[in-house]
Amino acid sequence: MTQATDPGPRTVANGASASAVAGIGALVVGALLCAGSAFAVRSWTSAAAERLVTPEAEKPEVAIADQAEVAYCTTQFKQVLERVLHSCGLAEGEARRGCKPTDVKTFASISDDDFNALFTPLKDRGGVIMFDEGRDDLDDKAKKLLEERWFARKGARYFFVVARASKTGNQAKNRALSHRRANSVMYFLTQLANDPQIEKKVGMLWLGNEFAQLSKEYCSWPTSRPEEKCDEEPINRSAFVSWVDCRL
Amino acid sequence: MFGRGSKVPAAIALAASLLGLLFASYSTLDYAKHLDRRLHDVHCSFIPGAAATNEAEACRVAMYSPYSALLKDQYWGGLPISLFGLGAFCFFAAFSLYLLLSAERAPRRAVGFFALIGTTPLLVSLLMLTISLTQLGQLCKTCVGIYIAAFLLAVGAIGTWVANRGDAAAPRQPIALALIPAWLVALGVTTLVPAVVYAASVPDQRQYLSQCGEIKQAKIKGDNPIKLRGTRAVQPTMLFEDPLCPTCKAFHDRLVTENIIEKLDIELVLFPLDSECNWMLDHPLHPGACIVSKAVLCGEGNARQVLEWAYTEQEYLARAGKAGAGVLRAAIKQRWGEGLLRCVDDRKTDVRLNNHLHFASENNIPVSTPQMYLGKRRICDEDTDLGLRYTLGQLAPEVLK
Repeated sequence: MTQATDPGPRTVANGASASAVAGIGALVVGALLCAGSAFAVRSWTSAAAERLVTPEAEKPEVAIADQAEVAYCTTQFKQVLERVLHSCGLAEGEARRGCKPTDVKTFASISDDDFNALFTPLKDRGGVIMFDEGRDDLDDKAKKLLEERWFARKGARYFFVVARASKTGNQAKNRALSHRRANSVMYFLTQLANDPQIEKKVGMLWLGNEFAQLSKEYCSWPTSRPEEKCDEEPINRSAFVSWVDCRL
Repeated sequence: MFGRGSKVPAAIALAASLLGLLFASYSTLDYAKHLDRRLHDVHCSFIPGAAATNEAEACRVAMYSPYSALLKDQYWGGLPISLFGLGAFCFFAAFSLYLLLSAERAPRRAVGFFALIGTTPLLVSLLMLTISLTQLGQLCKTCVGIYIAAFLLAVGAIGTWVANRGDAAAPRQPIALALIPAWLVALGVTTLVPAVVYAASVPDQRQYLSQCGEIKQAKIKGDNPIKLRGTRAVQPTMLFEDPLCPTCKAFHDRLVTENIIEKLDIELVLFPLDSECNWMLDHPLHPGACIVSKAVLCGEGNARQVLEWAYTEQEYLARAGKAGAGVLRAAIKQRWGEGLLRCVDDRKTDVRLNNHLHFASENNIPVSTPQMYLGKRRICDEDTDLGLRYTLGQLAPEVLK
């Protein structure tokens, strides 16, 4: 049978003394750790507060949402389009709509060829809506192409309609005819889009046969009648349509 | 396991306490760094002393979660719970040092007290681990470091008790029962000291809350925003979100978890960061986000359900988006049926989404998601994560009531 041994008063006293030393040592370490933690916390928050007032570096630049701006938006291109926008009633608060040939000549202040060249980068973005001779009604293929182009808006703000007439017929008649063609496009878009803001999106120009006639090179552009024979006559019985990806 | 009178368990407890102290320090430091309202790398490693990294999604999720801090309404970001760990581990380090130095002479009551109280960090850790797994679905490595330290501390504390149990031969000094409440008070004080210091020195953020601008145009031209009206809505709010953006998901989860969403009258504007429809990007950040955004638009009355489905299935949908539109469309069809998919493919839906994107561009908002506007006022990004509750408390206190 095992019996517990009495440790004796001296041993207990020695143990108590060692234990007290250990306790005091631990207390000191604990206090130091606690004070150190508090000091560290204080220094971290103070450093953050200092950086808040005097940042070490600028915040990283964040891109800002805006309308599309692509490479063809040259200064000259935008100048011409802005003149058209302001002069042909697209800008905010304007009452009139559209531009006739004399307006375009005046406002664009640019030669026929240079005017057409501005639109060259829009070859794939836009399309040429073809009309029958003397007519302003849209056929199914024209509607299909127009619909495709309209719904491919992406980041563009303005949709341009540049209607023309061929050399056949007199100037006044062609001016009116190209106006009606532009209106046909506009009417179709209005039905299609059901958008109360459409007036502020679509810019119309009608050039008759007086300004910026298209050469037959434009027959290679996407047209509503790609299978038909094309030369300078039919290509000008048209309305060129395109969204313009420029911040105007 | 441990021999009678062995010092090993006390040494384990001491090492565990110091390890816990280290991990709690890193966690607190990460939190405190963000008080400057900037985005910083965070420590997210099992290796003590490993450098902070920007690839620390799980640790960031834990940091932004409602469970990471207390008193978030009163203090910007709240008081991180790691502060309490920091203080508590100081106490446990000191107490285990005491037991290590006292060895077999340690008073029985001290050993018993330590065995009981040394397991409390483990209990708290188990609670936090459960929350991490069930609520956040992720484990933050720094947090796991603390859990491991707490486990080792419990092993050391119980081991010390086991090693000293029945050792009647050892000369022990009986101690007054009154020391136990004194130790408890000491534990309470050391646990609270870092938190009190933090609370007293945290910078005042109020002047920065309204410096992120306002929305210029309040209505989407040619379209109606998606209305997500909470059941007790009191605050008109506009959110710009991308259903495949992980930060949006985390933000939405915070709104739901903290029961804030029910107090908001939300107009949701979709802003997918996918160059397939969003011209403001030159490459897709979240491929497939345009299609999923259209599904949300087509959800109409169920838009919130579609959005929340997208968030729940975000990882799968993100992979599907990378695999191709067909995979994504199949996922939408499987969950929401043929009718919704037809709507997704309708050109009118393209136009609607395009109108949402133009709304963003006309307002010249930053190209980032999520974005929150209380009325017309934009809430800064840092105030939508760490500072969300504090910011709402300052700018729309009725939301937190």
